[in-house]
Amino acid sequence: MSSNEKEDEMICALTADERSALQAGLAALPETMPPRVVWQRIREQAEAEGLMRKPGMQKRSAWYTGIGVAAAAVIAAVMLQGPGETFPTVPEKLPSNSASTELTALQTLMVESRQLESDLRALPDAPRVMRAGTVASISDLEDRIAAIDYQLNDSGAQMTPGDRELFWRERVRLMKLLVQLRYAQTQRAAF
Amino acid sequence: MSKFADIQVDPGIVKRAARGDARAHEIIYRAFSTPVYSICLRFTKVPAHAEDLVQETFIEIMRSIGKFRGEAALGSWIRRIAVTKALMFLRSAWTRRGQALADDWDDTTAGEPANHGVSSHPDDALDLDAALANLPDVSRAVVWLHDVEGFTHKEIAGLMGKTESFSKSQLSRAYQRLRPMLEIKEDGTEPEGAAISY
Repeated sequence: MSSNEKEDEMICALTADERSALQAGLAALPETMPPRVVWQRIREQAEAEGLMRKPGMQKRSAWYTGIGVAAAAVIAAVMLQGPGETFPTVPEKLPSNSASTELTALQTLMVESRQLESDLRALPDAPRVMRAGTVASISDLEDRIAAIDYQLNDSGAQMTPGDRELFWRERVRLMKLLVQLRYAQTQRAAF
Repeated sequence: MSKFADIQVDPGIVKRAARGDARAHEIIYRAFSTPVYSICLRFTKVPAHAEDLVQETFIEIMRSIGKFRGEAALGSWIRRIAVTKALMFLRSAWTRRGQALADDWDDTTAGEPANHGVSSHPDDALDLDAALANLPDVSRAVVWLHDVEGFTHKEIAGLMGKTESFSKSQLSRAYQRLRPMLEIKEDGTEPEGAAISY
């Protein structure tokens, strides 16, 4: 035992085992999501103070317009397709070299996202009894993904291809976490 | 282990938030609102106060995110803002009651320790939660900051405007209050190896 640990033990009046048990117990306490109205209040205050721009107010350069239209076509194709159908093909006409690079990156993310959705659906149903922490984590991730989907599906939002790619990248990242968590959950349920 | 450390957000989203992008701010909010609310609720115990603190925290994030350079993790940065806001709230509450921080223990009347052991039983989490909630505000904050968020006594002292000894003393008193929860085993016997008292 180091001198620091010894000093800590003397200070805290707990043995190392007791302290570990306490710390584990504290860390396992469930977290709580804030009510949904809180974000509404924050957004109203932030907009009133000019801390953030309302969606759709961002300036768009003419350079982005063509790419935006093409990207919107891809998004629309994805949205129009029902579950279980194949992923849309690349639009016949791509705007420019730089735009085609961006579209390819965007489409790659969309394909990956779709694959992850499929992986998620393929997992067995969630067990009836779940750890509170796991439920909270899954719920939290689903909430974050839903928020991104809302942004991506907002027809009034004027998003650049860069915006879309960023949001799709974040969606893919969160979907991966969700699949990992759900997979771990099914593994625990199996044993 | 702090929950803040596990949360990652794409650096591109942080950059967009710094430019005032509402969508990016919402993503950051969705990512961190639960741990921020949880720590605020843990400190204040009152949902309405915790909601106000969440609002203050994220407004402060929006004001300051342009200065965030990414040297520390985003989660650590956000956690520090939330903790600072929550401690400021507690200080103001103490001030309103006309009490000094060190008097906090004398104000606790409902702090009878729970006498259940920490085990894998689901009810034990509730017992620990209740026991923690029954600690005086400042001690509860010190326990949480030290044992869950991983702050050092020096850092806690800095955040609270107190000395390291104050932080250690609060932790020690809190442990004494919580210790009976750890003493009783399944068979009702005392654990081997008595604790070293200070």
